[in-house]
Amino acid sequence: MKVDLVNIGKKYEGRENFTIRHIDLEIEDKEFCVILGPSGCGKSTLLRMIAGLNSITEGDLLFDGKRMNKVEPKDRDIAMVFQSYALYPHMTVYDNMAFSLKMRREKKTVIHDRVIEAAELLQITEYLYSKPSEISGGQRQRVALGRAMVRKAGVFLLDEPLSNLDAKLREHMRVELVRLHKSLDTTSIYVTHDQTEAMTMATKIVLLDDGKVQQAGRPSEFYEKPANLFVAGFIGSPTMNTFPGVIEKGLFKADGDLFTVEPGQEDKKKLSGHEGKRVVMGIRSERFLAGKAEKNGITVEVDVIEMLGKEQLLYCKFPNGKECVISEPGHFKYAIDEEHNFHLDTQGLHFFDEETSGRIN
Amino acid sequence: MRYPETVLDEIGNQYPRKNLLLAHQAAMEAAGDRESPPGTPEITEEALNEYQARRAEALAAEKIFLRQQSGRKKTFEIGSDEDPVIRSWLVKAKESEARAAFYEPLIDLDYDFELRHKQHLETARQLPLIAAERRAVLGELTAAREALTEARAAGQKEEREAFSSARKERLALLREQKKELKASYREGTISAKAFNNEKKERSLAARDQIGVMRRQLPVKAQKERVRYAKHQLRRDKKSKLRVLDSDLSDLRRRTPVEIAKRRPLVSYLTWPLPGLGQFLLGQPLKALFFVIGSFFTYLIAIPYALGRGNYRGKGLFGLISLARDGSRLDRSVIFMVEGVIAIILLLMGLLILYQSFRDVNRVEKKMIKGVRRYNWFETRTAIKRDGFPFFASAPAALVTIFIVLLPIAVTILISFTNYDPSHQSKFNWTGLANYKQIALGQGIAGGPFWHITGWTVIWTLLATSLAILIGFVLALLVNQDRIYGKRLFRTVYLLPWAVPAFITIMFFSIMFSPDGPLTSVLSSLTGQITNIKYSAWGTRIVLILLQGWLGSSYVFLLCTGILQGIPGDLYEAAKIDGATGFQATRHITIPILLFQTAPLLIGQYTFNFNNFSIIYLFNGGGPFEPTKYGNIAGSSDLLISYIYKLTIQKQYQGIGSAITLIVSLVLIFIAWFGFSRSKAFREEKL
Amino acid sequence: MSGTKEKRLYLSDRPPLTAVKVVMLAISYVLLFFYVFVILWPLSQILFASFNGNHGSYLQIGVSFSFSLKHFEYLFGETYFLNWVVNTILIALATALLTLFFVSFTGYAYSRYRFKGRKASLMAIMLIQTIPSFAGIAAFYTLHSIIVSIAPWFSRQMFLILIYAGGGIAGNTFILKGYIDSISRELDDAARIDGCGNLQVYRLIIMPIVRPMLAVIALWSFIGPFLDFMLPSILLNDPKSYTLATGLHTLINDVRNMHQPVFAAGGLLTAVPIIVLFIALQKQLVSGLASGAVKG
Repeated sequence: MKVDLVNIGKKYEGRENFTIRHIDLEIEDKEFCVILGPSGCGKSTLLRMIAGLNSITEGDLLFDGKRMNKVEPKDRDIAMVFQSYALYPHMTVYDNMAFSLKMRREKKTVIHDRVIEAAELLQITEYLYSKPSEISGGQRQRVALGRAMVRKAGVFLLDEPLSNLDAKLREHMRVELVRLHKSLDTTSIYVTHDQTEAMTMATKIVLLDDGKVQQAGRPSEFYEKPANLFVAGFIGSPTMNTFPGVIEKGLFKADGDLFTVEPGQEDKKKLSGHEGKRVVMGIRSERFLAGKAEKNGITVEVDVIEMLGKEQLLYCKFPNGKECVISEPGHFKYAIDEEHNFHLDTQGLHFFDEETSGRIN
Repeated sequence: MRYPETVLDEIGNQYPRKNLLLAHQAAMEAAGDRESPPGTPEITEEALNEYQARRAEALAAEKIFLRQQSGRKKTFEIGSDEDPVIRSWLVKAKESEARAAFYEPLIDLDYDFELRHKQHLETARQLPLIAAERRAVLGELTAAREALTEARAAGQKEEREAFSSARKERLALLREQKKELKASYREGTISAKAFNNEKKERSLAARDQIGVMRRQLPVKAQKERVRYAKHQLRRDKKSKLRVLDSDLSDLRRRTPVEIAKRRPLVSYLTWPLPGLGQFLLGQPLKALFFVIGSFFTYLIAIPYALGRGNYRGKGLFGLISLARDGSRLDRSVIFMVEGVIAIILLLMGLLILYQSFRDVNRVEKKMIKGVRRYNWFETRTAIKRDGFPFFASAPAALVTIFIVLLPIAVTILISFTNYDPSHQSKFNWTGLANYKQIALGQGIAGGPFWHITGWTVIWTLLATSLAILIGFVLALLVNQDRIYGKRLFRTVYLLPWAVPAFITIMFFSIMFSPDGPLTSVLSSLTGQITNIKYSAWGTRIVLILLQGWLGSSYVFLLCTGILQGIPGDLYEAAKIDGATGFQATRHITIPILLFQTAPLLIGQYTFNFNNFSIIYLFNGGGPFEPTKYGNIAGSSDLLISYIYKLTIQKQYQGIGSAITLIVSLVLIFIAWFGFSRSKAFREEKL
Repeated sequence: MSGTKEKRLYLSDRPPLTAVKVVMLAISYVLLFFYVFVILWPLSQILFASFNGNHGSYLQIGVSFSFSLKHFEYLFGETYFLNWVVNTILIALATALLTLFFVSFTGYAYSRYRFKGRKASLMAIMLIQTIPSFAGIAAFYTLHSIIVSIAPWFSRQMFLILIYAGGGIAGNTFILKGYIDSISRELDDAARIDGCGNLQVYRLIIMPIVRPMLAVIALWSFIGPFLDFMLPSILLNDPKSYTLATGLHTLINDVRNMHQPVFAAGGLLTAVPIIVLFIALQKQLVSGLASGAVKG
């Protein structure tokens, strides 16, 4: 089912300002859309509005073109997986999964078939007659998924379902969820604050901050072309290195005289309108090339080394104390307190206007 | 107040005025204030007249158009559905189409026209879709019904046999599984709990599967199909129409209204008549509710307050007169009680009036701003959504007001009268006379008051502390690691709490009576006749010991629970730090115990402060000491038993109530103190 | 082969006992058993007294024991004991049911809905309830008369039930509310998405989960009337309609009509079922207490 949000806004009663406003979103059928953002940015509110648990103050919510603002949650053809799973503790797993269909007086044969089908897909048939308190956290999460699947809804809503799992299980479930999404053939809208989950699972990411959409698009766009400083800092681990500075005569001069960079041709063209103005340059840790070069070079002292096997993260300091993170292959030899030379890969530079923090190139 | 220049909808969006007359007025009024010229162009006299004419024309045309409705209906072509519901919907859709077309050219004249246009457009759009869905389900229903008759006709002998044998097989399988489980249990490979659980689960699985098989029998299956289709019809009709109503009301929320009002006058003028305001504003059904509410105010509350329908009293006037000039049967206290009831009813009645006023006022003010009033659908939805807590608490609130608050109010009032043995039938207001007596320690009640208070305080502190001490010590002793028979001790220590206190107290009362067994024992021990009940301090000491006995159970249980919950690592860390057993107990156990139980223990102190039963049942509050305590109180009386004697037995209700009040204020303060320290309150979970 | 003796294995996790510790342990046991005696002696006296045929109207010490059921016969035959038992049970049952009815709704409403006066009202009522309302008894009498003039079948016992239930509303609502608060609101949301309306969420989802707490509240409301002496003594005037507390009291408070051993028998019969109830359900009762209620 196609989901459209047109100018959606939410204002709580008694509050002066809108919590979120002017949200426009188009989610195609069968997409896996992840709504990403830090805590308090309004993403859960948005999901709940799509579900119908919170009312929509302004704007339109459309499912396949039909306006859904005033439709009750139970009539919206949605299914939701909650962060805490929200399984009914006094019912067996079977009854939990069958509950929504029972409430719609669905035929018992249909209920049974669907529950068994979902249970087999999620490998929980053994626990069908146990109560939620008798099974582990990972199994409970699958039951929560099963409960949502059984409805064969047009839209799947997931509210941070992996946050209660331990790290290994989380990794495993990420893959499982994507597989599930493909086999179910529906639209999924997934809310999380974990950018790894977003980058690995989504076909479309929407990054929210402060009640506004910062960027929406495919994961690769977020990484390669972040729309503003916030996105650049949020996506990617380790965080992107940022250097404030000015454009002088077409060259970028970092504050504190740390270095001067000559941007590539394409970038130079786009920066031409910013001559003399202040910009912020961003460069990801892996875009520092080892060794000295003619231009665009820096000399830094290695402070801390994180050895990750195939790569190592060098936390370095400039002479004036500014820090940056550089990532190099693991087999290169570095040691703490050594000084090394690197040069910047001009193909991997990001420039942002300092005032608006919007992307220039 | 003035006409606002722009109008708002519910969300806060601003819209320009369409009603030129009002717009002109508003601009004129605003122009008086403004220094800079307004942004909108001046509205000319000509334009105003033209607008007025067009508007009158449109309204007239509308009337005619609506009247022609029945004629139009005959001309509609709606297809060949037989279902009356579908037919009515399609007719309605066509009518809406026609109306939408009618209103379209009038949109710029007034927001009402715009709203009606939009609403009819929406209705015309949705109803045919809803009808189509209904048509589909009806088709399914007919098909299912046919299949059902077929299945019935064909008979299901074969299927039944197949089902029977399948069922037998499944049950046999279940028996096998149970046998296996039992064997495992006997061997000890699974625990008793697992055995029971698995058995239950297997049975459930079998029952489910058999149920599924049964439902696949042709007749049963088709019956379900029919039933489901019928349910769908019913449900969809309700929910789809509700969606349409919601969308229509959503349009109301977004389309402003312009009314020729500056002030919410209706609310001010109609407040004495709930319902009238709502009716005038165009909300007749809501008005009905308020009218019914006003029946309570005008037919029950006010007459009662004026004295009609009272049991014996005269409503509010009873409070003033207190039956002074009444007959022998008219008792002051009844007049007073009914007076308080009258006040309560009057307050409730006035509340209804106030709520009605507020409702009308709010709606009017919003309408002046431009927000449309709720129609009945919206009101009903709002009541369903937000009204639940009030309906749920209503019976409880009523009971609380009359059973809990009324007597307390009466008590407070009585304390300001001279209700005493010589004024039983009729008494008067005496202001603070009772309180003065008590404060100065005079009179029948004032004299012993301070002595009794002294003993009450001593009793509370000693008895409670003793019980707590015993309970603490016992809990600590029993909970030691190496003590065996913990369960036995816990069960026995539970007994003082489990045996109803009045039995033990009465029993001890007998035992200590002048010819009682324990008196004889004591006498033989001390060599002289010792009659506890005749000695003030004897009684007091025995009482304290008795309460220590009675109260230790509760404290013991509480402490045991907490001790069991203290994590073992605290003690292990202490051991590593070099603490001995004593030190661990002193620095870890006791602080934790105190901290956790403190709020509840404060409850124990207030309990003993008011511990009527033990004092009254043991020795009637005696022994008597007329020189110190007068003729009413005894030397072991607490304030509460003293109050009891004063009010119930000796009929000094006036003084008794005054004492009650003083004591209660202190108690409330202490309870508030303990309350605000309790976990629930601290976590702000209120 | 070595010639040494086999060492005794020390298997316990705890450090070995020192002499001081042994003494402490002995003292502990002495104290504990002493208190066991302190508790059991009076109770056993009640037990023996009720079966001892050699007691007359008064209990005497030093009287030899001869088993007899005559006190029980007197209890059942010559007193209204059976009436008292039936009365008390009916009142207790009715109180429990009525309390459950009121509190199950108010607890849910106070927990899940925000409305004006939510915080203030509960606290205020609970504080006000600490005021003993003896003098306000007149209000009870008058109210009762008013109700009787409209509904003549409304007895004093029914009024007593109303007072017990009404008095318990505020406190029990507070406890239940706290319990329901601990149920995540996501459960409500999931139920709404699954198709439940307001009442259905309460009936199908919340209430089955809070059943244990409702049971505790019912239990306490049931036991309350058994233990109360004050209110029945004030309100009930017909000996046949007394509860056990006031009824048994009549056996010992009139010098002309003294039946102490009979009282012991009655007390025993009353105490035993309640003791059994307490022992069987001690966990639930204590947990109900400790959830933040102020009353002792």
